[in-house]
Amino acid sequence: MTEDILKIEEEKLEELLAVKFLTVDNAEFYETKGGFVALKTKDEDFGHVNVIRTFPFSNPDEFISIRKIDGKNEEIGIIENLKDFDEKTVKLIEKQLEIRYFMPRILKINSIKEEFGHTYWSVLTDKGECKFSSSSGSSGSVIHLGDRVIIKDSSENRYEIEDINKLSAKEMKKLELYL
Amino acid sequence: MEKQLLSLMPNNLVDRLKELNISYDKPLVFATADMDTDCNYRNYVLLLSSDCLIVGKENTVLESLNFVSKKEDFNFNNFSFKRYEIADISGPAVDNLVVGGIFRINENNTETVLCAFTNKFKGRIMKLIDILKMLIDNKEIGDDKLYEEVREEFCPKCGTIYPDRNRKICPKCMDKRKIFFRLGSFFSIYKKELIIICVLCILGALLSSIWPVLNGSLLYDGVLAKNNNVFPFSLLNIKDFSLLLLILALTMAGAKLIQQIFGIIQGRLVAKIVPNVINTLKKRIFGAIGELSVSFFTDKQTGGLMTRITQDATRVSDIFIDGIPFIIPNLFTIIFSCYFMFSTNWILALTAIITLPPAVIISMKLSPVLWHYNSKMFQTSRNFRAKLNDNITGARVVRAFGRESSEAGRLDKSSGFIASSQLNAMRFDLKFTILYQLTNSLSSLFTWTIGALFVLAVFKPQLSYGTLITFTGYVSLLAGPADFFSYIFRWWSGSMNSAQRIFEILDAKPDVIESPHPTILGEVKGEIKIENMTFGYEENRDILKDINLEVKAGKMLGIVGKSGAGKTTLVNLISRLYDPTSGNIYLDGVNLRDLKFSEIRKNVALVSQETYIFKGSIFDNIAYSNPKANKSDVIKAAISAGAHDFICKLPDGYDTLVGSGGRSMSGGERQRISIARAILANPKILILDEATAAVDTETEKNIQASLSVLIKNRTTISIAHRLSTLRDADELIVIEDGKITEHGTHDELVRLKGAYYKLLQIQSKALAMRGIGD
Repeated sequence: MTEDILKIEEEKLEELLAVKFLTVDNAEFYETKGGFVALKTKDEDFGHVNVIRTFPFSNPDEFISIRKIDGKNEEIGIIENLKDFDEKTVKLIEKQLEIRYFMPRILKINSIKEEFGHTYWSVLTDKGECKFSSSSGSSGSVIHLGDRVIIKDSSENRYEIEDINKLSAKEMKKLELYL
Repeated sequence: MEKQLLSLMPNNLVDRLKELNISYDKPLVFATADMDTDCNYRNYVLLLSSDCLIVGKENTVLESLNFVSKKEDFNFNNFSFKRYEIADISGPAVDNLVVGGIFRINENNTETVLCAFTNKFKGRIMKLIDILKMLIDNKEIGDDKLYEEVREEFCPKCGTIYPDRNRKICPKCMDKRKIFFRLGSFFSIYKKELIIICVLCILGALLSSIWPVLNGSLLYDGVLAKNNNVFPFSLLNIKDFSLLLLILALTMAGAKLIQQIFGIIQGRLVAKIVPNVINTLKKRIFGAIGELSVSFFTDKQTGGLMTRITQDATRVSDIFIDGIPFIIPNLFTIIFSCYFMFSTNWILALTAIITLPPAVIISMKLSPVLWHYNSKMFQTSRNFRAKLNDNITGARVVRAFGRESSEAGRLDKSSGFIASSQLNAMRFDLKFTILYQLTNSLSSLFTWTIGALFVLAVFKPQLSYGTLITFTGYVSLLAGPADFFSYIFRWWSGSMNSAQRIFEILDAKPDVIESPHPTILGEVKGEIKIENMTFGYEENRDILKDINLEVKAGKMLGIVGKSGAGKTTLVNLISRLYDPTSGNIYLDGVNLRDLKFSEIRKNVALVSQETYIFKGSIFDNIAYSNPKANKSDVIKAAISAGAHDFICKLPDGYDTLVGSGGRSMSGGERQRISIARAILANPKILILDEATAAVDTETEKNIQASLSVLIKNRTTISIAHRLSTLRDADELIVIEDGKITEHGTHDELVRLKGAYYKLLQIQSKALAMRGIGD
């Protein structure tokens, strides 16, 4: 009896350790009534699933982890490259990713003021004008990704500057100090 | 009614709902949200009443969002409302996003998304969902559930959001002047000395102000022109000009001498004050750091903190010693010089001071920029230090993976940043200085040229040669204070920058705060009770969910679970290194939040998987937990912890110096030292967090034996991967994903054949394979 359990455990372990890729052949994504991503595989209809980027900054469209929404958030599988799927699926998943990784893009920096270890930003984003504050003391508030910069505010909201080279000299001067 | 969950509900919402004939029963919770599922900022209002949930959605997308100030009122005419009958709702849930979440329900079993929200609104919406769930389940909702502490998130004065919610300080409403005066308070005990310094400064300024008269008009127009009608020679009535020259020379020498003496006294006083003030500041900073919560240290890099203590304190005190006392004498010099210049010849005076305003403007305009460059320079060197610290502490890992060159590259890059920021700062400083000195040189050029024309009587009234010398003397005298006032701004900004950082530490409020009227238990029994506790390090991620637990006094609880399940977090909460997000922990029936810190620290000892050895002897390290312990206590503790034998093998025994720079110790040795430390503390509650993880099986057995002595009459909470360690536990819990999934004695859990049983099987097999058996 113990032997059996161990055997099952071992098999489970092996299964656990293997990366399960979701491909056009073994997975079908569809939209729920509420607009969420749902997944159907050969064996099972998982319904509403979570869509998670494993490399949100460096590879946003690759290695997307699909997880169950309930309980332990168990991983169902990984999409190696979103682009392998048909346009409809890509759109559906991208929409879900967009809100999950909601991050307004900063189009213009109006002002950055620093006072007492806190930085006050006033920026124009693609989602409208935003005023927020970030803590300049902790190192995590500005993330550098080459020419791309992500700013986290005090409520953990994120804002993105796609390319700092595209900023005007004036804006760059304001930003420079926080880079 | 301040704390009610309806406190934020605007009155015009009630009116609007009435107009729209949307009925609702007793209102319970009001919440707002700020996003729609198309990723636009949009206002939502949610009103939960006892019979329905009303969701109002603004028809237009928000064009601007202000996370910094208090929200504007809503215009409900621009909202469309939808009413959901409680009876039709099921499965309310939030889909977590990286920032915030999506609120969805099932309405008549159809998935319906109500709104999305950013983190700012999460707390209230989660509360609304809690109450909604209770309504759906027909549970009774006690009044206490409808109250919640309203977190004051905005400064009452200007409506600005507190950048740090735990630190109710509005940076906008605080000003530099306040910092300055606050700093002044550090000097207040040296009032007498500071006054003497100021008086000496003024006297010195007075002496230097008469200097141009002595070596100008008196020397040239009096002595050299052999004219004794010049004041004050006219009073002396001396005909011998050689004697007059001697008197003048002696006066000049005397004036210089007195100035020097003043300088020496001043220097001595300064030397007395500065080190003391710096020391006090450092002590205060260090004290504040000591009181801060654990979370502060995970946020800030350690190297950065060290720089703050050492450099900022020095910078700050500088301005008080070399800056502030000179303000009055410099002002005095300016007034005196101007008075002389304008009373002698106003045209020449104007010529002389015409470049003063541009100089001051240059200084005022450019100094903030310079401030920024300086602060950036500071920042980069702080980063560098932190990296260096990383590198040195992790030297073994670096070597082990052969990453020396890439580490060097990392440092190179960082030091390159320092270089470029220094270069920028210096470049700017140079630009500034040149511009500034140019205006000064121009001023003296103008004065000489136009002055000469007055002496040559091209311009009237004619000026004597001596008066021109005196005049230019004053012009150059003016340069000093002008320069001073230009750099005092720079200096002031630099020091205030440092002060700002110091106060950031002094003001940082610990997340975990001791109650103002703490309870003192006296005799502690060691009973622990946890009720509905939820906790997450970050706002959005709950590590522990709804934990309920009771450990009777003197019993042992074993905690089993995978890494990352939340075991360590749980014991951190019991030690009150953090406070639960919701729910409570009780020690002997008293809420931990109400207990005196010292009471908790004295009675709860933690042996964790991270061992820290301080710089000092082994004796000091063990006695750390109980400084009153004598040598035999320490030896006893070391024997119990199985540390005595290896300590005896060391040539210096208990006097062996360990920690940075001292003898290095193995993981097992460190662990045994920290166990001895805990044993010596003699706590009522002992927490063993993988305490024996780093020791070999044999040592573990020894330690186990001593632990079994140790845990007698103590409440013990033990976390272990090796289940054999937990054999003696009276009760066991299994934590999975932050929840307690199994709970019972060893036998009960084995019978349950759940996660614990599986783990047990796997481990005994693994042990059998290694030929150890259990």
